[in-house]
Amino acid sequence: MSKIESGYNKKSLPNSVSKIGGTLLAIGLLLGIAGFLVDSYRASYAYLVSFIFFLSIAVGSLFLVALEYAANADWSTPFRRISEFFAASLPLLLILVVPLFFNTSNLFLWSHAGYVHGDKMLEAKSAYLNTPFFMVRVIAIILLWLFFYWMITKNSRKQDETKDQVLTKRNITLSVIFIPVFAITITLTAIDWIMSLESKWFSTIFGVYLFAGVVWCSLAALTFSAIKLKENGYLHSAIKEDHYYSLGTLMFAFTAFWGYIAFSQYMLVWYGNLPEETFWFMQRWDGGWKFVSILLIITHFIVPFFGLLSYEAKTNVKRLKFMSVWILCVHFLDMYWLIMPGMSRNNHAYSFSWIDFVFPLVFIGILILVFNKMAEKFNLVPVGDPKLQRGLNFHL
Amino acid sequence: MSLDYSKELTLVQGNMTMADLDNAIAKPMDTKPNKNYFIALAFTSSLLLLGVIAVSLTFYYGIGEWGNNQPVGWAFDITNFVFWVGIAHAGTLISAILYLLRQKWRTAISRFSEAMTIFAVICAGIFPIIHTGRPWLAGYLIPYPNAMQLWPNFVSPLVWDVFAVSTYFIVSLLFWYVGLIPDFATLRDRTVSKIKKFIYSLFSLGWRHSNRDWRHYEKVYMILAGLATPLVLSVHTVVSFDFATSVLPGWHSTIFPPYFVAGAIFSGFAMVVTALVFMRKVFSLENIITMDHLDRMNKIILLTGSMVGYAYLMEFFISWYSGVPTEQYVAINRAFGPYAWGYWVMVSCNSIFPQLFWFRRFRRSIPVMFIVVVLVNVGMWFERFIIIVTSLHRDFLPSSWGMFYPTWVDFSILFGSFGLFFTLVLLFTRTLPVVTMSEIKGVVEGAQPSHYEGDHNA
Amino acid sequence: MPDNKKLHSVAALFNSVDEIISAAKKTTAAGYKKFDVNTPYPVHGMDRAMGMGQSKIGFVTLFFGLFGAAFIFLFMWWSFAVSYNIVVGGKPFLAVPAFIPITFETTVLFAAIATVVGMLAVYFKLPNNSHPLHDTDYMKAVSGDKFGLVIEAEDKQFDKAKVIEFLKGLGAYKIEDIYYPEQEKFRMFEPKFLLFLAIVAVATSGLTYVTLNKLMYITPFDWMDFQSKLTAQKGSNMFANHEGMRPPVEGTVARGFIPYPYKGQPMPVEVLSNPTIPTKQILELGKGKFLTFCSPCHGNFGEGESRLRGQFPVGPTLHSDKIINYPDGMIYHIITNGQNAMPSYAPQITRHERWAIVDYIRVLQRAQNAKESDLKAVNKESVSNVQN
Repeated sequence: MSKIESGYNKKSLPNSVSKIGGTLLAIGLLLGIAGFLVDSYRASYAYLVSFIFFLSIAVGSLFLVALEYAANADWSTPFRRISEFFAASLPLLLILVVPLFFNTSNLFLWSHAGYVHGDKMLEAKSAYLNTPFFMVRVIAIILLWLFFYWMITKNSRKQDETKDQVLTKRNITLSVIFIPVFAITITLTAIDWIMSLESKWFSTIFGVYLFAGVVWCSLAALTFSAIKLKENGYLHSAIKEDHYYSLGTLMFAFTAFWGYIAFSQYMLVWYGNLPEETFWFMQRWDGGWKFVSILLIITHFIVPFFGLLSYEAKTNVKRLKFMSVWILCVHFLDMYWLIMPGMSRNNHAYSFSWIDFVFPLVFIGILILVFNKMAEKFNLVPVGDPKLQRGLNFHL
Repeated sequence: MSLDYSKELTLVQGNMTMADLDNAIAKPMDTKPNKNYFIALAFTSSLLLLGVIAVSLTFYYGIGEWGNNQPVGWAFDITNFVFWVGIAHAGTLISAILYLLRQKWRTAISRFSEAMTIFAVICAGIFPIIHTGRPWLAGYLIPYPNAMQLWPNFVSPLVWDVFAVSTYFIVSLLFWYVGLIPDFATLRDRTVSKIKKFIYSLFSLGWRHSNRDWRHYEKVYMILAGLATPLVLSVHTVVSFDFATSVLPGWHSTIFPPYFVAGAIFSGFAMVVTALVFMRKVFSLENIITMDHLDRMNKIILLTGSMVGYAYLMEFFISWYSGVPTEQYVAINRAFGPYAWGYWVMVSCNSIFPQLFWFRRFRRSIPVMFIVVVLVNVGMWFERFIIIVTSLHRDFLPSSWGMFYPTWVDFSILFGSFGLFFTLVLLFTRTLPVVTMSEIKGVVEGAQPSHYEGDHNA
Repeated sequence: MPDNKKLHSVAALFNSVDEIISAAKKTTAAGYKKFDVNTPYPVHGMDRAMGMGQSKIGFVTLFFGLFGAAFIFLFMWWSFAVSYNIVVGGKPFLAVPAFIPITFETTVLFAAIATVVGMLAVYFKLPNNSHPLHDTDYMKAVSGDKFGLVIEAEDKQFDKAKVIEFLKGLGAYKIEDIYYPEQEKFRMFEPKFLLFLAIVAVATSGLTYVTLNKLMYITPFDWMDFQSKLTAQKGSNMFANHEGMRPPVEGTVARGFIPYPYKGQPMPVEVLSNPTIPTKQILELGKGKFLTFCSPCHGNFGEGESRLRGQFPVGPTLHSDKIINYPDGMIYHIITNGQNAMPSYAPQITRHERWAIVDYIRVLQRAQNAKESDLKAVNKESVSNVQN
């Protein structure tokens, strides 16, 4: 046990971290408010893109924590706190969702009674797609996530002091329950926030598609922070390339998984060629969107696939850092590609706008600030976890 | 129950040494089988004979012997095909995916489940060929410059199947054989019989356990696992494409690929557990294939069973959400139509009974586990039957509605495929080591150097 | 030890895995190059102890995988879009999404086979059942639960006494000399071998005979070929006149078919008028049909000088005044109805094609009797073509 204590000393992150986070948040907020004043229609879509991006990292990180407990994995224990700190942004979802609630009429055609009236398809699903039920669902889902977040992290932090193994057992139980809950809630999130933007489109795999992206980008956030923190001596000194290799392997696996899910969805719609499904892809193959779609295939699948294929790539710290930043950017692009085409439903010619790129600043700023706050309060390594020693000894 | 999370679970129980392991694993090959073995073999080969007779009748009189009709053109044939391909997924999952995930417990069961994979692919491969009605023309599915100057239709999912299933068979066989080479060498050096020694030498290719070879061998094993993982997913994906690329309500659903894969793993694991329960008892391998192994297998059954349940829910919900009347009708017809009994057998066996495995007590009870996995096998067979028959039997026009009634030939071919499968399994347990000797020895306590990474100074 | 045997190596056995790791490290440090470690299972960290890096066999996989992908994709494109186009389900000939599954499968197939064959045949140089280590006590031990280290005689530093001393120092519990096996002489004319050859020869030729002469000619079930149904041109006892086919009802006309009104009249008083305009397309069609059906008797230019060389009545010239003065409908009538030795061509040539032939005959007639003005017009056209 002496090895654990000798390898890790709790330190607060440097001031520059909170400065960067604060600056990003301040600039983003100013520009964001300006954006809403200039074009609230566009700003609501742009805000939604960043909101889902933020949500992906927050709830995806909680899923990674639960996955570690449920699978009884040991190699990831030295990093688990990083994911817990990212998940610490979850309570803020309750506040951040408010601007979207005020703009449901901008976002969702189904929220217009006049539009739904007389349209048989929309009338048929109005029992599900209506504003009050939508808001109840969204709030309920966030509260469910918060419940599991609070329970799991409370036990995990308590263990730092007590080193009680029963807490691990409790967290395993919680995590095992959380995983099916997560599967259903992330599916509903995908349907409510993204699929229903184009109210007539449907695809049974859509929840799995978002799931793949969510886990992928949470892994990237974890990998980037882990390497950065380890390089600057904030993590345990016994973390070595075998750990990075495992993170790289997971990112690689989810790259392939996303490719598989995205291809399955596209291929089946393309092959079936039913107008009630193809219009969604047609819209994303129209005009300039064609290039975004092609760009997505290249950046979301081909580049990370070959970039993370070899053993050398997965143990090369520089490559991993680059790829994880790349993955975060591409996940944003994916969300952009999913959400923004819904905006051009009135046959407007689509063009990029500065408003689209304002809100990521807000959300990334919040993630950094929350992370920093958490790192001040709690240990960056779960020092009381019984699996930590096993995790540090991990070798391929 | 008190678990110590700071320690990894021991994989081999009963303080077995490496020599004990070799003896325990090689015992079925060194001794003569007893009466029970022959009784079992007689039973399975009788089933096989029944299947052979039914298939011969089909060849002689054509597939009119089956219950297939208009509109139900696909029935038991394709159901059995998808069922067996599904069973075939567990082996590669255990040997490839769990290998990549560094789950060391897979070593005890990988050989056995890989063997089951190969036998299940053999069973599966029969059905698409006999269901064409003219099996002697199957050669045209292979792209070669034939006298007709025609190439296969590469856009057809049925041709994708040919490529996927045959690739899967070849790669599984390679994977299995590569794993067997060191074991053949060990057997070669153990045996006293001249004939056995000749056979083992032949198959061991002269392997010498050299570390200069192990170095590449381990890398190749890793690469094969890396190739087999997407391959195993792709095979059932391609099988699901057979249905999902059509525009038939109930078949055309984008979730089919991952849903079929989850179902395949689910049914495969159930079949492996079914066989392991007997195998570990009959060959006294309880210390190698321990209760912990079965516990973990049951957890995966629970996980994949819940994934399948998720897909049922999604299908039902989206069919309503889509607002397409035909989609909605098919969903309702499945659950409450003439095949409702089959649908509820499927839902209860696949998604409800496995929920018992939430409790550790049931995960570790042999009778409970045996009943549940057998039910899972039944449920997964019904799942394919329901997907195929309920989507077909009520066409868009009520004038082309019908029902499917299987004949005794249908049933005989189904039972015959079980006979073939279990006959092969029985023969395998007596001719090849059912546990990978070279891997299990590597995970015994004290098999690996006590400190080697990062401790070069020590 | 027999002196006539050649020494291959000296082998040492160890009991525990920690011993073999340190032994390997020390052997590497002592500068031995041609040595090997034999363990019943792969030992972690042994590669490093023996001073070996990562295996590079992954490149074989990568190369053959990419090769397989490129090969099958191009092949599918060629067979589907170039060699034989088949329209399936309204999909394009280069149906990229539909080609991906097979491309993927073939990638995996090529990569897996190349990797395994490459490893066994190229890296391991297997099969090799005559290696000196086989059938030794050393091999039997490392196949079970012992760990062995061999230093080969071919090593530059090899000195038997020193090596044995060195291995003892490492803590080996047993040391063994390994000799090359005696070369076995293979006798060609041993009766057993000859018998084996004879059996193989008989079996092979028998199988070949059965396959080529019997198996290939087994008729699969063919009841569908001989169904109890009426087929065209076949008799039947079902009807009074014993004909399988039924004549159409009196006075009816098949859909889309207009009967020719002057059928059977040798010289009709009035004829049909030509419905076509002699466009280039029509004339090309007429030319083709003329060369196919008319030219054998009437000659390539309609001059009546046929290729038949008197084996068949020579067709008359089409440049006689009589024919030049015929109305279009009359020539059409002759093609449709036949005249003298000429049979009706109505079954072979469609109505539209017959009119096209008539138009082409008119062109031939004009070319044969060209006037000065025609020539000028042609020259003008070609000059202007050149200028352009």
